[in-house]
Amino acid sequence: MGAFGPVNQGAADEPPGSAPGGRAAPPTALAPPKAPAALTAAGAALRAPFTARAGRELLFCLAEAALGLVVLAAPFALAGLGLVVGLLAGRRPAGPGSPGQPVVFVPAVAVLLVILALLAIALPRTGRRLGAAHRRLAARLLGPAIGAPAPPRPGRGLAGRLGAVLRDGPGWRAAAYLLLQLPVMVAEIYAVFFAAVGLANLSYPFWWPLFRNHAPGTVLQPVPVLTPFGSFGVATLAGTAAAFAAGAAMLLAAPWVARGAAAADCWLMHRMLGPPRLAQRVADLEQSRALAVQDSAALLRRLERDLHDGAQIRLATLAMNLGMAREKLGADTDPQVRELVDAAHQGAKDALVELRSLARGIHPPALDNGLADALATLAAGGAPPVDLSVHLPERPAPEIETIAYFCAAELLANAAKHSRANRVAVDLRFTDGALELRVSDDGAGGADAARGSGLAGLRQRARTVDGRVEIVSPPGGPTRVTVTLPMHA
Amino acid sequence: MTASGGGRGDGGRPVRVVIAEDAALFREGLARLITDRGHQVAAAVGDADALLAAVAEHHPDVAVADVRMPPTHTDEGLRAAIELRRDHPGTGVLVLSQYIETRYAARLLEGNAAGVGYLLKDRVADVAEFADALARVAAGGTALDPEVVSQLVRASRHADGIAALTPREREVLALMAEGRSNAGIAAALVVTGGVVEKHVASIFGKLGLPPSEADNRRVLAVLRYLGS
Repeated sequence: MGAFGPVNQGAADEPPGSAPGGRAAPPTALAPPKAPAALTAAGAALRAPFTARAGRELLFCLAEAALGLVVLAAPFALAGLGLVVGLLAGRRPAGPGSPGQPVVFVPAVAVLLVILALLAIALPRTGRRLGAAHRRLAARLLGPAIGAPAPPRPGRGLAGRLGAVLRDGPGWRAAAYLLLQLPVMVAEIYAVFFAAVGLANLSYPFWWPLFRNHAPGTVLQPVPVLTPFGSFGVATLAGTAAAFAAGAAMLLAAPWVARGAAAADCWLMHRMLGPPRLAQRVADLEQSRALAVQDSAALLRRLERDLHDGAQIRLATLAMNLGMAREKLGADTDPQVRELVDAAHQGAKDALVELRSLARGIHPPALDNGLADALATLAAGGAPPVDLSVHLPERPAPEIETIAYFCAAELLANAAKHSRANRVAVDLRFTDGALELRVSDDGAGGADAARGSGLAGLRQRARTVDGRVEIVSPPGGPTRVTVTLPMHA
Repeated sequence: MTASGGGRGDGGRPVRVVIAEDAALFREGLARLITDRGHQVAAAVGDADALLAAVAEHHPDVAVADVRMPPTHTDEGLRAAIELRRDHPGTGVLVLSQYIETRYAARLLEGNAAGVGYLLKDRVADVAEFADALARVAAGGTALDPEVVSQLVRASRHADGIAALTPREREVLALMAEGRSNAGIAAALVVTGGVVEKHVASIFGKLGLPPSEADNRRVLAVLRYLGS
């Protein structure tokens, strides 16, 4: 085994020996740079059985074969059970005095049907469970996890639950996988066979001498040597060398067989056990959208904080200093200077007001303390008096709070501008796992999202998190707008 | 009105102040403004915990606190102010903020308008007015930002009562709610004290409020009326 040297480090394309993703030692690794390609390939092939990856793949094949055998055994077990039950059921009516034959037949068919029905009910869920075991195995031993399919949909009542089980697509696909995996399982058994029997063959020359001390004249039975291409007998020490050679060849071939079988199994798992492509895509998009919404809310919050700690405070200090300068101007000051300082002072104060309303539009700071505080301030600023009631046992995610706040702001502004309402009621509560914001007024009604007035924008805003906006506003009023938002994006 | 006036506060006597504000620029400007007006800055600190410690150490006449301070930059200044009002009744509390939140004002007043102020940071630009508010709070009076008052008036359920007032009376009502004394109102409106007294009596009559002598009780009565 001289080939264990670093002859081929990093040179072979992807020998089973190299770690996935090229974790092989860096190319600087001592390799005599001009080693012939044939030699490096041979080195890789020789080292292959002794790498961690080969070990994992072999272990995977072993475990997969074991799981596959369970599936293979199940029909026999069921058939046996059916037979026993059928016999038990058939024996009773076949008592003395009655011709047994036709009576046995009917219950046997009934039992068979019942077993088939039970099988149909059990298959999807069993498929899911066994499929999950397969997936876990692949993730543990071979690397990147295969995503789980969507969980089964719950059904209500017996019929609903039965229907949900029978229509469980991922469950049926998993059951189909169990069936399709059987041929792959044969290849996996082969890989295990190559490794185990190869190792056994390799050992022949070592224990052969133990059996030399037999009585003279004894004829030795040839010892069988198993190979994938049949078996041959070994009766001499020279013959054990052939067994050794066969064992070595099998051991060297084992990682490649294991890799091929494992790859085929993984491909099948991806197709049959993972989420369907469209569902996966929807899940991915939902997640990335949630991230985008959270990101933009966080960004706006940071922007407001930067304004608060930066420009606003500088401007406030500037206005204060100008105020002090103004106070210090004496009676003999040039009126032009006084005028200029006055203008600068007023300008700084106006800019402060503008900057404040800008910052508030970016992210209302009171939101940091929750919707109750923020809506209270919002309600205090409106023209018609607002009855505010907030019942939230827990705080929604920040991005949801922001959306709810701006929806409320838009609706209050609408009520003030268009409805000529005398009273507005804002009600925020937690209903059926969602946040419900209801703004109602006693105004003129006739609000219509199709005619602009900000209601379309409101809908757009709610839709970014799968929220709903429901508008009830008959001509003559009253108007009631309900915004339903999830607690998280 | 000059820095050399030395020890002459706007309320007539110098006031000892503790400042809590995390922005160093504004904190220093504020300290300068306050010393300029003849008052004394006992300590100028950058967060709420330091404020509580400084007040316990110096027992100032008034503590000026920013609402948003480290570590969370939400309302620690306000919470510290409420704590000070409970633990140091002798110290007035003037809260400054870049925003007016009515909920904050309500939490700060909580049934007692004595020695408390809540102003926008912008008001500091009007030096004389700010100094007046500071002196008022130090002396146990009230200084509410005009914006708080106008929000209260706008949102008030007593729109009918307020509509019954003359425009001048409405101005006087707002100035009362800000916590000003009759003399202060007279100065702001450039009228005599007698005129103001007549307006005040008329307002209390129209709104059905019991007349009250002390300024801070009068403030509370007006605020209760607007907020109820």
